[in-house]
Amino acid sequence: MIDIPNINTDRLTLRAPRAEDVPAFAAFYASDAARFVGGPMTEAETWRYLCQVIGHWGMRGYGRWIVTLRDDDAPIGLVGLHNPLDWPEAEVGWYIWSGIGKGYAVEAGKAARAHAYDTLGWTTVVSMIAHGNDASVGVATSMGAQREEDYQHPVYGAMGVYRHPGPEALA
Amino acid sequence: MISLTGTPTLQTERLTLRAPQPQDADAFIAFFASKRSQFVGGPMTERQAWNFFGTEFGHWMMRGFGMFTVTRHGDDTPLGIVGHWYPRTWPEREVGWVLFDPASEGQGIAFEAAKACIAHAWDTLKWDTIVSYIDHGNDASVALAKRLGATLDKDALPTKPEDPCYVYRHHRGTFA
Repeated sequence: MIDIPNINTDRLTLRAPRAEDVPAFAAFYASDAARFVGGPMTEAETWRYLCQVIGHWGMRGYGRWIVTLRDDDAPIGLVGLHNPLDWPEAEVGWYIWSGIGKGYAVEAGKAARAHAYDTLGWTTVVSMIAHGNDASVGVATSMGAQREEDYQHPVYGAMGVYRHPGPEALA
Repeated sequence: MISLTGTPTLQTERLTLRAPQPQDADAFIAFFASKRSQFVGGPMTERQAWNFFGTEFGHWMMRGFGMFTVTRHGDDTPLGIVGHWYPRTWPEREVGWVLFDPASEGQGIAFEAAKACIAHAWDTLKWDTIVSYIDHGNDASVALAKRLGATLDKDALPTKPEDPCYVYRHHRGTFA
């Protein structure tokens, strides 16, 4: 019903969110681990949020994918290109809730960043990271991103801005 | 932009009901940022309304049905949203209606669109019951529900236990 492209990496598949992903997504958003990415949320809020993830694809033409292992369709994270109305510019974002510590966020984040540069023709992209989310800063750093001046979000407050190397630097 | 495809279009005497498209976002956001939305979840900030439009869009993918954008034949200007709404944790499936601009009221547009959506729910979606959830104080919507033949169901659950609302239940065959 909406044409969201699939991407495969060495170990992962990035695909469109579906209704079957709600339980795993809701479990993550009910947990303390979601505190850096807008959580915790109720199940009702989580369902609407996953709808918004899909709607973002409609409104922007790009968005975030559900991440799975290549040989297992179970959702393990949400990674992709994100630019809601109150973001200063488009970001590549990630959260992985299963299989942490295996480099999945970096692998999926690089695939999303490559999609932004190679398919969408972007010349720059940032990652917006809540203060204290050290794991996410580690992912951004592994991807070569460098911190810039904070962005003051109207609801979330100060957020770290990490700018990724551009397409020429990665070529 | 990426469009919803494979979604139905409903035609009535005067109206075309189609799936929401990105170009509807501005009218949707303006409505939900205004006081006119006080009985349907608003008013909200523009960022919330933008996200809510995304929810409308994604609802189609998650449920296979959703709210239509209402337009006149031959004019794609969005007049409002009318259709089928069933977010997770709601007790029942709803037919709901919103007209963005007061200038569109008083012409039977919401009635005509809702009537088509009720028929679609019975005949195509094969729902076995249909309700409309209406906030207390939304007299215009209560009047429309009654005009559609719906009756107040005092035993039905509201969408949120802590937030009472009217639940109007529709009846098959009203327009047969």
